[in-house]
Amino acid sequence: MIPARLGPALVATAAIGAATAFGYELLGRRVGARPEQAISDRPIQVRTDEYVSSSACQACHPSQYASWHASFHRTMTQVATPESVIANFDGVTVADVPGRPMRLEVSGRELWAELDEPDWDGKGDAPPRIRRRVVMTTGSHHQQIYWYATGHGRTLGQLPAIQLVSERRWIPRWSATMHPPNVPLVSESGSWNGVCVVCHTTQGRPEFSTPFGSEALFTQDVDTKAVEFGIACESCHGPAGEHVQANRNPWRRYILHLTGQVDSTLVQPARLSPQRASQVCGQCHSLWEFHDPSDERHANRSGLPYRPGDELATTRFIVQPTTNMGSETMKRLLDQDANFVRDIFWSDGMVRSTGREYNGLIDSPCYKNATEPSRTLSCLSCHSMHKAADDTRPLAGWADDQLISSAQGNGACLSCHAPFGGTGLANHTRHRADSSGSSCYNCHMPHTTYGLLKTIRSHQISSPSVQASLDTGRPNACNLCHLDKTLSWTAEHLEQWYTIPRPQALGEDDRSVAASVVWLLRGDAGKRAIIAQALGWRPAQQASGTNWMAPYLGLLLNDSYDAVRYIAARSLKTLPEYEGFEFDFVAPQEQRLARRRRALEIWRDSRARQGRSGDAALLFNPDGTFIAERLDRLLAERDNRRIYYRE
Amino acid sequence: MATYARRHLRFGWWSLLVFAALGLLLETLHGFKVGAYLDVANDTRRLMWRLAHAHGALVGVVHVLFGLTLRGAGGTGFRNVPLVSIALVSASVLLPGGFFLGGVGFFGGDPGLGILLVPVGAILFLTALGSIARGVGR
Repeated sequence: MIPARLGPALVATAAIGAATAFGYELLGRRVGARPEQAISDRPIQVRTDEYVSSSACQACHPSQYASWHASFHRTMTQVATPESVIANFDGVTVADVPGRPMRLEVSGRELWAELDEPDWDGKGDAPPRIRRRVVMTTGSHHQQIYWYATGHGRTLGQLPAIQLVSERRWIPRWSATMHPPNVPLVSESGSWNGVCVVCHTTQGRPEFSTPFGSEALFTQDVDTKAVEFGIACESCHGPAGEHVQANRNPWRRYILHLTGQVDSTLVQPARLSPQRASQVCGQCHSLWEFHDPSDERHANRSGLPYRPGDELATTRFIVQPTTNMGSETMKRLLDQDANFVRDIFWSDGMVRSTGREYNGLIDSPCYKNATEPSRTLSCLSCHSMHKAADDTRPLAGWADDQLISSAQGNGACLSCHAPFGGTGLANHTRHRADSSGSSCYNCHMPHTTYGLLKTIRSHQISSPSVQASLDTGRPNACNLCHLDKTLSWTAEHLEQWYTIPRPQALGEDDRSVAASVVWLLRGDAGKRAIIAQALGWRPAQQASGTNWMAPYLGLLLNDSYDAVRYIAARSLKTLPEYEGFEFDFVAPQEQRLARRRRALEIWRDSRARQGRSGDAALLFNPDGTFIAERLDRLLAERDNRRIYYRE
Repeated sequence: MATYARRHLRFGWWSLLVFAALGLLLETLHGFKVGAYLDVANDTRRLMWRLAHAHGALVGVVHVLFGLTLRGAGGTGFRNVPLVSIALVSASVLLPGGFFLGGVGFFGGDPGLGILLVPVGAILFLTALGSIARGVGR
C-alpha cells in the first residue's frame, strides 16, 4: 500500500521517467537514422584507439570548434549530400570527359552519375555505361572532386570531371592538375581508399587485404575506415579519449582554469617546440614515404603510427634531397620511379610542389640555423588553426590561408629581424617602405611552387639569387616582379646593393632578354605556369608595365599543358583591354587558336598606343613585331620534359 | 501569515519586472548584434545569461504563487514559513545571480566561479518547493 502523501511524488517521478525514455528513444532514432556501421558501399567513420571525434570537443571549446568548422580542413572530405556538394548535379550533362558525356542527377537526397566505366578492361567496342551513386567529396576551397561507390566493398571511384570552385564549372579531372599531354589517364578507382584517406581524414585506415596497387583492385577486400572525415581536432591534438574522460571531473577543470596548469592529457601544438609543432603540420604538408613495406602494412591496418608531439621522422621517411638523397630508402624509391625527386624538387633540393610546405620550412635558415626556440621559425609563426579572439577578420577571411593577423604583413619576420623594421626597411630593401618591394614575403618567399592551378609562395625562406636561377632554372624573386628585366640587370643590382658577386656564367640571353621571357619560352611547364601567373600579379604588373604582356600570354593560350593555358587566360583577363575576354582552356584546339588570334588582334590594335616597340629585351622590333628569330630559337630550346607534380 | 503573503507577492512581481527587463536587455544585445554576447567565443556567456533570465523569472512566478497560496490557505497547514520564505528569497538571488556571474567571466565552455552559487540556490529552491508542496497537502 502506497501512502497517499507519496502519490503526487510518484506521479511526478513516473512522468519524468517517461519523458526521459521518450527523449532517449527520439535521440536514438535520429542518430540511428544513418548508422555508419550499416553503410557498406563507402568508407565509414568509426571511433577507435581513444579517438572521440570533434563532436566531443565542441561543448567545452566552442570558439575553437567554430573556427575549425569554418576551415577548409574540415571540408576536405565530406559525405556527398546536396549541402556538401558545390557543383550542380540537378539534371546536368558534362561533356568534357573521356568518352560519352557524363549525366548527373539528384534523386531525393542522393546524387547519381551516369558515365562510361572508367575501369573498362578494353573488351568490346566501347566502355559500358554505368550509373553510380556519388557518395563522397574531396576539397571545397579551390576544387571539389567527387567519388562514387563502385560496388566493390568500400572502394571509391572518381568522377572524370571535377568542379572548379572559383568559376563554378566542371572541368576534366586531368585539366585540374599539371598533367602531361599525351600521357594516358589511369583510373583513380581505389585512390581515395589507398592514398587520400591518410591525410584527408582523421586517423584513416585504408584496410586493403593486400597492398594498394599490388594486384587488380577489385580482387582485393577493401574495408576503409577513418575516425572522422576531414582533418579534425584530433589530427593536431592527438586522440582525446583520456582528455575527455579526465575532464568530466569539474574540479579538475577548474583547478586547471584557476592555476593555469598545462593539461597533460592532450597535445597542444602551440606548447611544443617549434620543431615538433611544425611536424604536426608536416605529417600531411610534406612529401613522405614509408621506410619499408612493413610500415605500409601496419598503417594499412591501424592507421599511421605518428601522434602529435612525436618525432615525425621516427615513423616515416621525409623526402628531403638536401639531406637524405643517398639513403637506402631514397635509393629504393628512385628505383621504383627515377623521376621521383626531380618531379617535386628543384635541382638544388628546394620543393616546387604545393602541399609540401614542411619540406620547404625545414630547409629554411630561420628553422635549421635557429638556436633559440623563441626565434625559430615554425608553421605556427605565421599560421593558426584557430582564429584569434582579437582577430577582427571574418572567419571566411581568416580561413583562406589561416594566417595570424600579424603575419599578413611583415610582422612575422620583423618579430625576429627587428632592425629591418621602421626606417631600416627601405635601407634594406632599397624599395619604398610602402611598396610591394618592401614586403619580406615577396623577396624571400616568391611564388615558385605550383599546385591546383596556381602558384603559391615557396615556404623555404631564401634570398634572391641569380646564381640559383642559373643553377636550377628557378625564377628568382627580383625577376618575378621585374618581369621586363634581364637576369644580368638583377645580378647588377644584387651586387651593388648586397655585394653578392655577379655570376660569371651569364649567357647572351641572360644579358639581353628579359628573364621572364626566357623562362616563358624556354622553360618547362612548371616554369611557364609560374611566369604565366606572375604576368597577372598586380605588383609585377605595376613594376613591369602591362603593355607588353598580352602577346606572351597569348602564346601560352596554346600551351600543351591545360594548366598553363588556364593560368595564362586568367592572367590575360587582368590586362586592361582583356577584361571579360572569353577563353575556354579545355575547348577543342581550333576554338582555342581562334580565341588566341583574337587576343593577339586586340593587342595589335592597341600596340601603337601602348606597345613597347623596340624593346629588345622583350624581343620587340621597332615596328612592334616580335624579333622572330630569337623568339623561335628560344621556343625551339624549350624544355619539353614531362612535368608531373604530386598534387 | 498575511505579512509573508504580501512579502512574496511583492518580491515575486518585482522579480518578474527585473528578469523580464533582463530578457529585454538580452533581446537588445541580439538586436544590435553585440559580439560580447553573440560571438561564438561567448557562447557560454549567452547560455548563462539566458539561464539567469529564465530562472529569475521562474522563481519570481513561484514567489507570486506562494504568496497567493499563503493568502488562500489562511495559514493552515504550513510549517516553518519563515524558513521557507528565506529559502525562496535566497534561491531568487543565488540561482539567477550564479548564472549571471558565471557568464561574466568564464573559461571556454566552463562558466566562471559564480556558477558555484547555483547548486546552493537550487537546493534552497527545491527545499522551499518541497515544503510548500507538503504544506499545501496538509
